[in-house]
Amino acid sequence: MINFQQVSKTYPGGHRALEKVNFHIKPGELAFLTGHSGAGKSTLLKLISLMERPSAGHVFINGVDLKKVNSRQIPYARRDIGIIFQNHRLLERYTIFDNVALPLIIEGTHHKQIAKRVHGALDKVGLLDKIKCHPSTLSGGEQQRVGIARAIVNSPPILLADEPTGNLDPELSMEILRLFEDFNKHGTTVLIATHDLGLVARMKYRSLTLKDGRMIQDPLAEAVL
Amino acid sequence: MSLLFKGRQNTNERPKKSVLSGGYFFIINTFRQGVYSLGEMWRTPLASLMTIAVLGLSLTLPATLYLVVKNVQQVSSGFEEAAEISLFVKENLSGKETQTLVKRLALYPEIESVKFVSKENALQEFKEVSGFGQALEYLDSNPLPDVVLVIPTKRNRQPNAASVLLTKLQSEREVDFGKLDIGWLERLNSLLSLLQESVITIALLLLTSVILIIGNTIRLSIMDKKEEIQVMKLVGATNTFIHAPFLWTGIWYGVIGGLFAFICVSLMMWWLSAAVSGVASVYQTNFTLIGLTLNEFALLVLLATSLGFIGSYFSVNHYIKAIEPDKV
Repeated sequence: MINFQQVSKTYPGGHRALEKVNFHIKPGELAFLTGHSGAGKSTLLKLISLMERPSAGHVFINGVDLKKVNSRQIPYARRDIGIIFQNHRLLERYTIFDNVALPLIIEGTHHKQIAKRVHGALDKVGLLDKIKCHPSTLSGGEQQRVGIARAIVNSPPILLADEPTGNLDPELSMEILRLFEDFNKHGTTVLIATHDLGLVARMKYRSLTLKDGRMIQDPLAEAVL
Repeated sequence: MSLLFKGRQNTNERPKKSVLSGGYFFIINTFRQGVYSLGEMWRTPLASLMTIAVLGLSLTLPATLYLVVKNVQQVSSGFEEAAEISLFVKENLSGKETQTLVKRLALYPEIESVKFVSKENALQEFKEVSGFGQALEYLDSNPLPDVVLVIPTKRNRQPNAASVLLTKLQSEREVDFGKLDIGWLERLNSLLSLLQESVITIALLLLTSVILIIGNTIRLSIMDKKEEIQVMKLVGATNTFIHAPFLWTGIWYGVIGGLFAFICVSLMMWWLSAAVSGVASVYQTNFTLIGLTLNEFALLVLLATSLGFIGSYFSVNHYIKAIEPDKV
C-alpha cells in the first residue's frame, strides 16, 4: 500500500530530513513510526500526503508513483488519505458537524449522505452529543476525536496520524489508539507517528524507527542499519 | 458502526461521477457557495457595509460626471441647431444671376432652406435695428451686399459638417465670401470633449481603485482564513473549490456597490432637479435633468460586478496559490 524506495528529502537550505529510506506497509496494516523530535517522522508523513516531494527516490501508494501525481491531481489524491494532527486543526468558526462534514462537502457528497456519514463518524468516536458544539467548547481529547472523525468520514483507505496522542494523558491516548485499531480492523491502513515508545510497546504492532533521517529499525526489513 | 465502511473499496479508486451528476454538483455547489458568501458578508455587517459604501461612492463619482456630460450635451445640442450660413454675393451680379444662385442652392441636399436678403432690405433692417438711421442718410451709396441666408439640414448643422458646406458654397462663382459663426460652437465642443476626456480619465482611475479596494478586501479575507484554507487543501479541496467563495464575495461587493452608486446618483439628481428647474425658469427654458436610463443602470451594475470579479480574481489567484499546508 505504502512503499518507499530509496527516498531522500533535503529542504532548501540544505537540511537533510530523510536519507535513502526504504520500507513497505501492506494494505490493511497498522504500523507505528517512531523517533526523536527531528528524526524525520513528519517529513515522511508529508511525503505520503503530498505536502512535500522527495528530493530522490520514489514513494508509491497503491502502486502509484507520487512523482507522477501533478499539482492539479494532488487534491484528489489527498482525498484517499485521512490525516490526523497533534494540534487537531479544527476550524473554530464551524460547528463539529461542519468540521467533520468538510471532506464530504469538498467531494460533492449529497447532503443526506453527508448527514448520515457525519453522524456515523461522530458516533464512532463517541461525540454524537457534541454535534452542534464549536471546537473550543470541547476538551483536548474530544477535539482529537473530532479530528479523527473528520479524517475517517469519507472512508479513506489510508489513515496517517502525526503525534495523535501528543497532548493527551495515557488513558485518553490508549482510547485514541483503540480507535485506530478499530479502523484498522475494518481494513484501513494506518500509520501513526509518535515519540511515545511506552505506548508503542503496549500495542503489539510493527514499529519503524527513524534516526537523523535514516530508518534504523524495521522488523520486516531484511537489513537493519 | 459499520455505516462508514459499508461497501468501501480498499483501493485508491472511487466510482466515477457521470457528467450529468458532475454538472449538477457544480451548479448546486456554485449556488451554495454564492449564498454562503452572502451569509459571510451578513455575519460581518459593519466591515461589509463600509467596503460597499467605499465602492458605491467610488462608482458614484464617475456616474455623476457621466450625467453631467450627458446633460451638458443635451443643452449644447440646442445651440448647435442654430447654425446659419451667410453668403455675401458679388457686387456686380444682376438680379437674374442672384435668383439663379438662390434656386441652385435650394437644390443642395445639405441645405434645408435658403432666404435671399437684398442689399436694400438689409440696409433698411440695419437702419431700424442699429439706431444709426440718420447717419446712414449721409452715405452716397448702399455699402451692404446682397446676402443669401442658408440653413443647413439637421445633419449638416454640426460645426464640422457646416464648415465643409461653407467651403463648398464659397466655391460658387457668384459668392464673394461666406460666414459661419461657429467659433463659439467649436469652443463649446472643445470644452465638452475636454470634459468627456476628463470624465473618462477620472472614471478609469476610480474604477481601478474599485478593483484595488475589492482586491485588498479579498486579500484580507484570505489572510483571515489562512488556516481554514490550509485545512481545506489538506482534506482534498481543489483550488476552484477554495476560490469560489472569495470570487462570490467580490461579485456581491460589486453588485451591491453598483446598486448603492445608483441610489446615490438618483438621490443627487432628485436633490438637484429642483434647483436646475429654478435656473431654467429664470432663462425661460424648460430644461430638466436627465438621469440614468434603465440600460445605463444595468450597465453600471454590470460594470461594478465585473470589477468586483476582476479584483477578487487577482487576489484569489495570487494569494490562495501561495497558501500551502506544509507552510503551517
